[in-house]
Parts: sequence; structure tokens; C-alpha cells
Amino acid sequence: MKILSLKKISSIIILMFLVLMITVMHSCKPSQLVAAKTGAQLWAENCQRCHNTPSPSTFSPEQWETVGLHMQTRALITEDERKKIVDFLKQ
Amino acid sequence: MRTKKFISGVAIALLLNFLLENYAAAQQTTVDSALLDRVTELEKQSAYKKSGEDHFMVVGVATLGFAAYKSTNNLSGVSSVSKGNSFPDADNYEFSPMLLWRHGDKFLMEFEPSFNNNGLSVNWADISYFAAPNLIIRAGYFVLPFGTYAKREAAGWIDKLATDPMGIADMTPTDYGVEVEGGLPMGNMKMNYDVALTNGNQLNADGTLTSGNIVDNNNNKTVTARLGFLPFSNSSLEIGVSGMFGKVGNQASPIQNTKGNLYAFDLNYVKNFSPILLNIKSQYNIQDIGNVNYISPVDSSNYTFNNHTTSFFAQCSIRPVGLQGFIKNVEIAGRYTTFNTPANSTFGANQHSFTVGLDYWINWRTVFKITYDAYTGNSTGTEALNSFTGSTKTNTFYLQFSIQL
Repeated sequence: MKILSLKKISSIIILMFLVLMITVMHSCKPSQLVAAKTGAQLWAENCQRCHNTPSPSTFSPEQWETVGLHMQTRALITEDERKKIVDFLKQ
Repeated sequence: MRTKKFISGVAIALLLNFLLENYAAAQQTTVDSALLDRVTELEKQSAYKKSGEDHFMVVGVATLGFAAYKSTNNLSGVSSVSKGNSFPDADNYEFSPMLLWRHGDKFLMEFEPSFNNNGLSVNWADISYFAAPNLIIRAGYFVLPFGTYAKREAAGWIDKLATDPMGIADMTPTDYGVEVEGGLPMGNMKMNYDVALTNGNQLNADGTLTSGNIVDNNNNKTVTARLGFLPFSNSSLEIGVSGMFGKVGNQASPIQNTKGNLYAFDLNYVKNFSPILLNIKSQYNIQDIGNVNYISPVDSSNYTFNNHTTSFFAQCSIRPVGLQGFIKNVEIAGRYTTFNTPANSTFGANQHSFTVGLDYWINWRTVFKITYDAYTGNSTGTEALNSFTGSTKTNTFYLQFSIQL
């Protein structure tokens, strides 16, 4: 019986880790309390973690979409949070 | 005769009328045709724009200020006092427009050139692909996920104090590579992950590191990763742990297998205790470089030292956001910082500083700061390497204005 090399074992472990991460990412759900939060609540809670809460009038609705993506990469908020916050700021 | 003249007159009038009508009709056709062409062109342009699909915008930050210092030195047995002041220095001047280009809702390109005391440079230039709900893949030149200060808190319009904490941002490289990141909901809690694969740091002849090298010095890539955990449903607290692991020596050199291992622990707590908004931030960095024989700048002999560096800061600020009038725009902040570089090296020092500040927020992204910093540094270098020995005390007063545009 052929023994697997260390490289192959490492590759298998990395692959398993990726599969596990993807599974975890798909199974992660917010609680009802968190899921029920409005865009205004999430705006107040998350933006001030780094800076003052922005005024909705600062950017146009289309610009808020762009800023929302930029902030998701910086603060690592979830996609649901980003969409709710951006919808609130666009109003 | 009169009848002939009359008939001729009528004929000329009819002819003129006919000619004028045809001319007017021709003019009308020309105008209609030009309008139709213009409308068609506008329709083409409108279709090309694909509203909502591609967008470009410019934001950025401008920070400027003034610093005045008094320094008391007792180095290598010589005492001296110096005073100085300047408008731009590394802590209080920056002009950095940031270009954001969103294509649809899956791609974002970010580019931030910067003019500061180091001249012209680039803070980041990368492209992000929003591959899945909580999975972002980025490639290019970006700030590594090592702690949170450099990536989230360093901008002048965000930072509560005019200065950066010593050693914190300096130990967070910007580098070329790829990155995977995202935020994940976990019931009432949240977590976030950020993993990067980059060229990595390079070891200098004196034992310090450089980063952001477009050409890698070896075939080994550096892995940097951070995990953040937000235990409360209101996201008020975030704690994070980071690691950076890779070889730092030049390929095919005696130090090619020398490793650089770095660790960081960060904390961020922001909570509104009406009427006061409390803001606490902290980060602790550790940097360990493997054993290396360095060459003395004095006599070219070999020497070595424990290449271990730490930096730490803890900062607290309060702002009465629940009050009315002038006072709600005022914020006070204080910070303690330590930065210890390796003893018995050419750059060894134990340093610490106390920094206090008073800020006035003109609006949510525009701030005027008054900051006072008291710094003490004690050299731990050796005279055998021509290092300074002794101590330095520097008190600096800063005025700073910063705006996000």
C-alpha cells in the first residue's frame, strides 16, 4: 500500500479546511434578535465602531452602494448588515 | 396693359410663396433630422452608461497641522536641549485622494495615492471580488490584516489623537498578494476572518524589516491572518488575534531560512452610555526574528542579539453625544504607548509616551485636534556598535485639522 506524502496530506487538510469553512459560512445564521434589526439600528451600532456615524445626505444613493462595498471590506460587516445600512442611507 | 401687369404680379407672388413654403419645409426637415440624430445619440449614451452597473467616485482624506517640540537629551554622556517647530511632519500632513470604482455589485477597485512627508506614495491599490454573501477575494497592494489600527483607525479624520501610536502601524505592512475575508453572523454574536498571502517582509542588515517589496527576496510567501470576534449582539466589543508567518532572509544566502513570526492582539469597545459615548481601543504587537549573525558597522565582526520587538497602546476617549449645543462636538482622548526594540542592537530602545488630546468635531468627518505628547526613550543599544546610549525626553504640542472628502 502506497503511503501518502506529506505534501498530499497537507493538500487534503487544506481542502478539508476550505470545505469546512464554506460549510460554516453557509450554515452561519443570525439570531431572530439580530435578524430583526433595522438599517438605522445597524448604522448606529456598526459605523461608530471606527468613526462617527455618517449623515445620509453625504452621498447620492448610487454612491452609498459603492461606499457600502468599501466599508464591508474594511469593517468586515456581514452582507446583510451592509445591505440594510445602505438601504437606510439611501432613503 | 394693366391686366398684364396684374397677372404678372400675382404670378410672382405665387412663385415667391411657393419658394418660401418649400424653403420652410426644407428647414423643418433639417431641424427634425438633427433632433432625431441627437436623440439617437443620447439613447446610445444612455444605454452605454448602464445606470446602476458601473460607478466611479473620489473620496479621500486631507490632514494638515503644526507641531512644536522641546527635546532634552542625555546621549552618550552629552546633555543637550533642542526646540523646534514645523507645519508638515509625518504625523500631521497627508493629502490622499481615494478612487473607488464599483462595477456592478461584485467588483470594487480601490486606489489611494498619498502625498505626505515621505513624498508621493501609494497607500493601497487593489481589486475586490464579492464572491459570495460573506466572502470577499482581494488582490493587489493592500494593508495586511494584522491588528486593526493600520487598517481601520489610522486615518486622520478617524484617529482621536494627532499622532500614531509608536510601533503599531510600523509593524503592519502593506504588501502585494491575495486576500480572502468576510464577516459571519453567529446567532447573537458575529465573527470575521481575514487571510492574506503576500511577498512578505525582508530582513535588513541591521535586523529591522522592510515591507511592500514589489520583487520578492525569496520563494517563500508570508501568511497573515486575523480572526475577530464580536460577542455582543450590539457589536460594541470586538476582540481579535492576528499572526504573520514567513521567511524574511534573501534566497541563497546564509539566512535564507530565517523566519519572522509576528503576533497581534486587538480590542475595540464603543458603547453609548447616554449622554456619553465611550470609545476604548488597544493593540499589542509582538515581532520575533530568528537568530542571525549580523555584521558590525564598526569593525565588520559578527554580532547577534535577541531580535524581539513589542509595541502596545491603550486609548480611551469620551464624547457627550447626548447633550445639545457646542459641547456635544467636543471629545477628549488619552493614550499610553510603549515600544521596545531589541537590546544590544544598533536600534535598541525602551520607549513610552503619554498622549492627551482635545478634539472639536465640525461635522461627522471633519475634526480639529489639539494634542500633547510626552515621550521618553532609553537606549538599550551598545557602544560597541556606535549606538547612542542614554535617554531622550521630548514634549510635543500638535494642532491638527483633518477632513474626509
